[in-house]
Amino acid sequence: MYVSPIREPLIRGNKDYSQVTKDILAPMAGTPSKYWYMGIALALSAALFGAWATYVTLFTGIGSWGLNKTIGWGWDITNFVWWVGIGHAGTFISAILLLFRQKWRTSINRSAEAMTLIAVMCAGFFPLIHMGRLFLGFFIFPYPNTRALWVNFNSPLLWDVFAISTYFAVSLIFWYVGLIPDIGTVRDKAKTKIRKAIYGFLSFGWTGSAKHWSRHETVSLILAGLAAPLVLSVHTIVSFDFATSVIPGWHTTIFPPYFVSGAVFSGFAMVLTLLIITRKALNLEEYITVNHIESMNKIIILTGSIVGIAYMTEFFIAWYSGNEYEMFTFVNRAFGPYAWAYWIMMTCNVITPQLFWFKKIRTNVLITFVISIFVNIGMWFERFVIVVSSLHRDYLPSSWSMYTPSVVEVGLYVGTLGLFFTLFLLFIRVFPVIAIAEVKSVLKTSGENKNHSEHE
Amino acid sequence: MENLTFTLTKKIVTICLIMVSIGLIAIIYGVVAGSGGERIAANLLLNNYYFLGMGLIGLFFVAVHAIAESGWQVSVQRIGEAMSTFIPVAGVLMLLFFAFGGLHSIYDWTHSDHIDEILAKKAPYLNEPFFYIRLLIYFTVWSLLAYYIRKSSRELDGLNDIKYFHRLRKFSAIFIVFFAITSVMSSWDWLMSIDAHWFSTLYGWYVFMSMLVSGVAMLIIILYLLKRMGYMTHVNNEHVHDLGKYLFGFSIFWAYLWFSQYMLIWYANIPEETIYYYERLHHFKPIFMINIIINLAFPLLVLMTRNSKRVFWMLIPVAVIVFIGHWIDLYQLIMPGAVGGEKAGIGFLEIGITIGYLGLFFLVVFYSLTKAPLVPKNHPFYKESLDYHTNY
Amino acid sequence: MNKYITAYYLDEEKLLKGLKQVKAKGFKIADVLSPFPVHGIDKVLGLRRSRLTRVAFIGGAVGAIVGFGFQAWVFTKAYPINFGGKPFFAAPSFIPVAFETTVLFAAFSMVFAFLIVSKLLPGNDPVIHDERVTDDHFLVIIDVAEDSSADDIRNIEKALQEAGAEGIKYKA
Repeated sequence: MYVSPIREPLIRGNKDYSQVTKDILAPMAGTPSKYWYMGIALALSAALFGAWATYVTLFTGIGSWGLNKTIGWGWDITNFVWWVGIGHAGTFISAILLLFRQKWRTSINRSAEAMTLIAVMCAGFFPLIHMGRLFLGFFIFPYPNTRALWVNFNSPLLWDVFAISTYFAVSLIFWYVGLIPDIGTVRDKAKTKIRKAIYGFLSFGWTGSAKHWSRHETVSLILAGLAAPLVLSVHTIVSFDFATSVIPGWHTTIFPPYFVSGAVFSGFAMVLTLLIITRKALNLEEYITVNHIESMNKIIILTGSIVGIAYMTEFFIAWYSGNEYEMFTFVNRAFGPYAWAYWIMMTCNVITPQLFWFKKIRTNVLITFVISIFVNIGMWFERFVIVVSSLHRDYLPSSWSMYTPSVVEVGLYVGTLGLFFTLFLLFIRVFPVIAIAEVKSVLKTSGENKNHSEHE
Repeated sequence: MENLTFTLTKKIVTICLIMVSIGLIAIIYGVVAGSGGERIAANLLLNNYYFLGMGLIGLFFVAVHAIAESGWQVSVQRIGEAMSTFIPVAGVLMLLFFAFGGLHSIYDWTHSDHIDEILAKKAPYLNEPFFYIRLLIYFTVWSLLAYYIRKSSRELDGLNDIKYFHRLRKFSAIFIVFFAITSVMSSWDWLMSIDAHWFSTLYGWYVFMSMLVSGVAMLIIILYLLKRMGYMTHVNNEHVHDLGKYLFGFSIFWAYLWFSQYMLIWYANIPEETIYYYERLHHFKPIFMINIIINLAFPLLVLMTRNSKRVFWMLIPVAVIVFIGHWIDLYQLIMPGAVGGEKAGIGFLEIGITIGYLGLFFLVVFYSLTKAPLVPKNHPFYKESLDYHTNY
Repeated sequence: MNKYITAYYLDEEKLLKGLKQVKAKGFKIADVLSPFPVHGIDKVLGLRRSRLTRVAFIGGAVGAIVGFGFQAWVFTKAYPINFGGKPFFAAPSFIPVAFETTVLFAAFSMVFAFLIVSKLLPGNDPVIHDERVTDDHFLVIIDVAEDSSADDIRNIEKALQEAGAEGIKYKA
């Protein structure tokens, strides 16, 4: 297939297939580096803090949190939405970019999907812990019981149960189906008997037969076709948690697409944060190149601008509606007691990503890293602003209140961060971080040594 | 050797002119038969907006692919460029239409005796001078950008300098940003303010998606017509397949936005919002149901398989149905507020004016197609577009 | 099929060219093992387009009906409860869950069908012809009939050699 000479190569360094295998498998071999141990020690201690916070919550109840009667949702739901949102980038990269045939996805989809799975686990933790008594989680499943009572299918919170669990399950099989051929590679390159046996078991007996490849491609494509609307539906349903209510600042029709866009926005920021470190630490700079970073930055501008337009639309319509409660909520967000959170959100989400319009900035790895952290922070504050600032000024001024998280809530959040990084660090040791077969399939047309296919 | 120069035959011109005259007859018929000024005005607005949308989507199609650096669309890029030349025509017609009575017969907020407490609050935005200023800004900038994008595309072709490719991309980026804001604002101005009390934050994006689906359908129809006339032989099944995928995907996305807006308003059940759907469900129920059913079901079920997206005899019927379907979508956006349940209808007036606009649109597009070769041969991705095959 | 001949290529373009030559001589290629999907190989090997898409469609249709039907049954027949003044048959409310079950059923039915028809299951112990197949080798397998003579085998080997294949091996 002809590729225009003005396109930059996606894989640097004159690689052949066996070099690709070697490079990508390298991080899994040998003993982990000093930095890996330091990283996992840090992540595990954060997770331990989270374990303590979970213990306190379970044994004393959510009274140990900073919530009150007016503000019934705080950091828990903020974190839930934040983590689900982060998960969206992985599916976006592997499903939507596959449908749009963006070849640059091949270097980043594997790790981004792993990130999705881990992020969704972290997200799912919050609604469960919010129940205070974990066994109550049992009641969200529709099962025949002696009271002949079913779950409330009219409730967006229940839709969430279905959305998140479907999302996790489908992402898992999508990720694993993609992994099977690469696990085959790991098996065949394994040095020890035990390693060979384990990866042999996990590879499901992959041989690379043409018939299998043909089916594998069909399955990947259809899974992408299914995962693309699925990823839209997940954050849409998360936004329904808010938008089906009649609370000013929550009930607005733009929420579904705006949440999805924000989710992809924050997800790409997290992918950048992770991969900028990973490519450096694992010597994968020739696979995850500045081009890849630039492409992701372009998606950050796109989704960030959509989010920016949504903010402005909401603000304008709040005024245009002539509804004084709606207007009050928005003015209060920008100038009320939580104005600091609002302006952090505005700065990090709307202003800083616009710097990526300059090619110099979006191809600068260090600045990209800093901005990606900004976006992570900004998107966390977006959810905080939506959740808390809409609630803390009730219709009745006598109910007006403020909210500060307790150390237990902070612990839960830090704990999920710890869990996230622990699992990601384990992932890079256990599975190839880049989809080996997929990179090989674009190597001829998009590698640096692509010249010989141009003579065809 | 492929014929790259499109010639506007007498036959095409005659057919288009006949269509335009049917439109004019329909307007006269409307006046004579006493359909009422509101109904005629609403129909003119509807079609003017609908075909303006086609032009805008033509430009959007070119711009968005230029930014995304995709290759395959180069083969049909000229169709998008030609569609964009309808923007200034629609602008002039719209301005004339509003200036000569259209504004007052459609928009309640222009009548000082209809201004209540809520509309008074909106007066800083909904007032006539500002309305016209916005309209002029939209059309001037859209038309200028359409002109420059077309110009750089032709210079790229004629002078074969990569500099013009970068220029094309720069103008495209400016257009995308400007259009992202103005597509939303213009839908508030021209459509949402018909039901002046009502509001929905999603509205602009919903209207944009409707526009996008119908624009892609129109692009497919024009491509088919050109192929029937013996042009565009370089366009193969793979290109058609991609256009088919757009039609399929965007239709689903449109239905998603439809559902999001409807479900949230239905669920929260706040009277000031539900009144909008109450009107539509009580006085326009068939139209309301047809809209969602045909615009979702046809593309979804017919275009689900791979082959149906690749062959014209499956794709064209869907494109035509979607073209009609999104006209109906616009109908149910405009008519309940502008005309009302008793006076509205679909008769010769509606169909005739639509045919008239369609004729005018085709005339402008086909005329513009003669102005440049049908394929930009020197486009950096031209070869990529020709050597284009995928497994899916 | 106990007897077969294997040979490998190191480049997918040479592989495709070679396969066409071998096929033109009338030999049937049993399988090609490759480190990544080679485009155009389906045609050379005469593989049919996979019908797994139909499984996905049926799975999705079942999921949609089950998802929507179950909710409708719960709220109109099993235990109707008034929630916020909404009708018992609150169709818009049922769509999100019905959509999720559609996707879930479609995805799982298709992936399981794929794994089962391809006999890809955990603990499978396949014949590994060459460990470099998952790295950079493209392995061609040609079956040899039970009753074939040494000449037949030599013919196949010669055809492969002429088609540029390397490391030709006869395995019985």
